[in-house]
Amino acid sequence: MPSRSETAAEAEDPLLRERFEREAMPLMPNLYSAALRLTRNPADAEDLVQETFLRAYRGFASFEEGTNLRAWLYKILSNGFINAYRKRQREPVTVEGPDDVDEWYLFDRLGALHAEGSAEEQVLDRIPDEDVKGALESLPEGFRMAVLLADVEGFSYKEIAQIMDVPIGTVMSRLHRGRKALEKALFQVAVRRGLVSG
Amino acid sequence: MDRDCGPECQETLREIARFLDGELDPSVRAAVDRHLSSCDPCLEHAEFRKHLKQLIASRCGGDSMPGELLLRVKALIEIEGSPGG
Repeated sequence: MPSRSETAAEAEDPLLRERFEREAMPLMPNLYSAALRLTRNPADAEDLVQETFLRAYRGFASFEEGTNLRAWLYKILSNGFINAYRKRQREPVTVEGPDDVDEWYLFDRLGALHAEGSAEEQVLDRIPDEDVKGALESLPEGFRMAVLLADVEGFSYKEIAQIMDVPIGTVMSRLHRGRKALEKALFQVAVRRGLVSG
Repeated sequence: MDRDCGPECQETLREIARFLDGELDPSVRAAVDRHLSSCDPCLEHAEFRKHLKQLIASRCGGDSMPGELLLRVKALIEIEGSPGG
């Protein structure tokens, strides 16, 4: 005999599926972008998103309505990425920070090159999209994920901690070090593109 | 900029990331706000980081997803049947 909760889930099936299509599916483009930044190639990103939505669908009855659906989906995406792609890519799991990067690395370097007010911002704006993406994608995975979740997806530290399954202090330290590494990568791109002289 | 400008500046610059991430307690947030409204060099630093954050947000998301992916996932869900729990 089925348990009471199973009966309830079965009775609600058509509604659950409808709700999944209405609430979860529209988030797919966002998750695809995130998957691209994580896997760094479209074929793997598609696989990761497909797997994420299938897993989410299978577990959707246990997802509590009214709680954070977006964070729940990103957690499934994050777990899927760690399980499948990290192993395959054999990327060393580095927790090293860029120790040679000053706190205001980019601000100081761009500021030193251009005296006028918002010139630093203008240099940043001239960096092509692909290079900004490339700079983020060049970060070690744990840092990349923290920066992606905070700056691109706008999650709070608490949500990121839940998604990545680490303490909030770890989120803050990864964000801090990740952003420093990102500043360095962006400066290198700006030099390579001839936007500033190294 | 000379960043040895005083304890208030140092405190503000230390909190800039949490400030821009919206993670500060209201009282600390108000103190940072107050300082930024009266200190141009700190404001310049804050504006730069804000711009950088917005740059990452606007350039690193919004990739166009192959429409075929959505159709494929929909089809797989059809096959899957009822969602589990």
